[in-house]
Amino acid sequence: MAQRYALLFLGLASPAMLVCSWFPGFVAELCFVLLVMAFPAALIALAVTRNGKLGPLWVPLVALTLILEGCGVAMLLLRGHVLEGPWFGGFPVGTAVQIYGLWLGPLLLVALAYGWTFSRWELREEDLRRFDARRNRSKGDAEG
Amino acid sequence: MTSPVNPSVVGSAVLYLALVTAIGIWAAGRTKSAKDFFIAGQKIGWIVTAFATMSAAFSGFVFMGGPGLMYRVGVASLFICIPVGFTSGFLCWVVGKRLRLLAGLREIYTVSDVILVRYGSRRASGLAAVAVIIGTIGYLGAQIQALGILIEMVFGTGALLGQWSLPAAMILGCAVVVFYATAGGMVAGVYTDLIQGVLMVVAAVAVFVYCLQSGGGLEAMSRSIIASDAFGPSHLDPFGTLSVMTAVGFFFVFAVGLLGQPHMLHKFFMLSDPRTLKWMPLVIGLTQSACVLIWLGIGLTVPALVAQGRMTALVNPDQAAPQFLLSCTPPILAGLVFAGVLAAIMSTADSFLNIGSAAIVRDLPKAFGRRVSNEFLWGRVAVVGIAVFAAVFAFLYKDLIALVGTFAFGTFAAALAPAVAIGLNWRRVTATAATASMATGMVVNLGLEFLSKQTFLDWLPSVSLKAGVLPAAVSLSASFTVLLFLTWLSPARSQSPLDPDVDFVMDL
Repeated sequence: MAQRYALLFLGLASPAMLVCSWFPGFVAELCFVLLVMAFPAALIALAVTRNGKLGPLWVPLVALTLILEGCGVAMLLLRGHVLEGPWFGGFPVGTAVQIYGLWLGPLLLVALAYGWTFSRWELREEDLRRFDARRNRSKGDAEG
Repeated sequence: MTSPVNPSVVGSAVLYLALVTAIGIWAAGRTKSAKDFFIAGQKIGWIVTAFATMSAAFSGFVFMGGPGLMYRVGVASLFICIPVGFTSGFLCWVVGKRLRLLAGLREIYTVSDVILVRYGSRRASGLAAVAVIIGTIGYLGAQIQALGILIEMVFGTGALLGQWSLPAAMILGCAVVVFYATAGGMVAGVYTDLIQGVLMVVAAVAVFVYCLQSGGGLEAMSRSIIASDAFGPSHLDPFGTLSVMTAVGFFFVFAVGLLGQPHMLHKFFMLSDPRTLKWMPLVIGLTQSACVLIWLGIGLTVPALVAQGRMTALVNPDQAAPQFLLSCTPPILAGLVFAGVLAAIMSTADSFLNIGSAAIVRDLPKAFGRRVSNEFLWGRVAVVGIAVFAAVFAFLYKDLIALVGTFAFGTFAAALAPAVAIGLNWRRVTATAATASMATGMVVNLGLEFLSKQTFLDWLPSVSLKAGVLPAAVSLSASFTVLLFLTWLSPARSQSPLDPDVDFVMDL
């Protein structure tokens, strides 16, 4: 199911981004930002789905999507308000969203989620046993 | 640029060049087969692979071009590099595991090999090889050009050799890379990448700390920039002076397009054990982010120093990094950074030499149903041939190679990312859809980029998109669209059965 939704999103988002490229204005920019920011999560969902499920990865994937979408929309809304907004971490808030949110925000989330779920979901012991058996069989066939 | 010769910078550069040459000599003894030459015998550990992936991904642009771009357009330039926050995990999830597993079951040395095994189509595989060769010439030419300019700057050869200075510097830089890439193949490539990666991280972090001190901290620098007439508030607006479509387009191309970069995908084939993928994203993500600090550091400090009246405004923004390093930093730090930049350029160049040679001696012949008898020997010959061709091309057509170099990333992205990323994760994708997607990506990207920027051929029409729209973003979207819709439109009976090994790997 997750793979089907991911493909549906990718199939709709790709031409929609092309359409956004032709139209001027805030709505086209907002749509472009929303589609671009969700695109990586959709590709990850397509790749990591097993038997239609995201398993333990649904939490980091939802978090990644929310961080990217939230930062994208926030930056769009804060455009042109450098002098008015508060400051955070040495930068006006829009720049802080870009640097601490969009860049550093997903850094540990994604890398740690990958490491922590690796043996449980990405490449399980059972998968590795099957892989090793197949590789040994291929080697045997090649040598035989 | 003519600059006084700095003994620390020269010393660091000489030491660095001697070190990579020594690694080439050491690796030559360990390179005995085509598998060693193209994928380092598939015996590389995860930390070395992670550093090799990071250093191959970052060319000298991150160290020199990035700060200059930030001086020109503000923090919006960061959209090119901030995807590194998540792209390491993204890359491993979407393609890393399957590439490594496939390379464990089949003789896979290149992205074209993957396309051939996945789609069973020599046409698709040949098209991928053509994309790799076009992008390689562009990337490699740009790296050789940058290497020549940097060596000329470091050794001050301009005063000594006059008009022959640049070609001499290009030959020197090229000779070192070609030596270790030919002698030691990918074994030399990954171990020099490891040294180069460590050097890049240390240099970038050291410069960032120095920038914070010399500029008075992030907030002081930001407030100076905002208050200045030369830069103003827009310099620190997330979108800066760029349009939203340009800035977010950069983000799209440099995040999603990463899935089609052969010099990064290639590293997964070398990993000794698929289990060790586990912590690779952490190392790649942290080291890439550390390198990006130099972009942010110099890109923020130079405008701040100009705004504070402590540095004269730059005539050429591309001089932001060299001018800051040569005039504002201690010689030892400048030496470290120049060695880091040499490392960044050479690590990218050696990856492309290897990939380009594999495309010529393996991928193209296989696309025509042939096999070169001694790939190991001809691989070495091809490395020299590609380097000479790219260097001569870069020297004779400086502007053209710079142009091709700038859109090489987009060409790889649009041509290869959908066919690899979707194809390895969705069984239904057909060879026809993959071929059409690659052709669309390549033709649209090269066509739009070339026709909108070229000034060499007057008779060609000029094509321009809506202001701010990136050709690479358009071609990448178009390539995804073609792949997905052609697959959906293909009747189920038109799909040829998957190779059993591919089917097995896609099941894991």
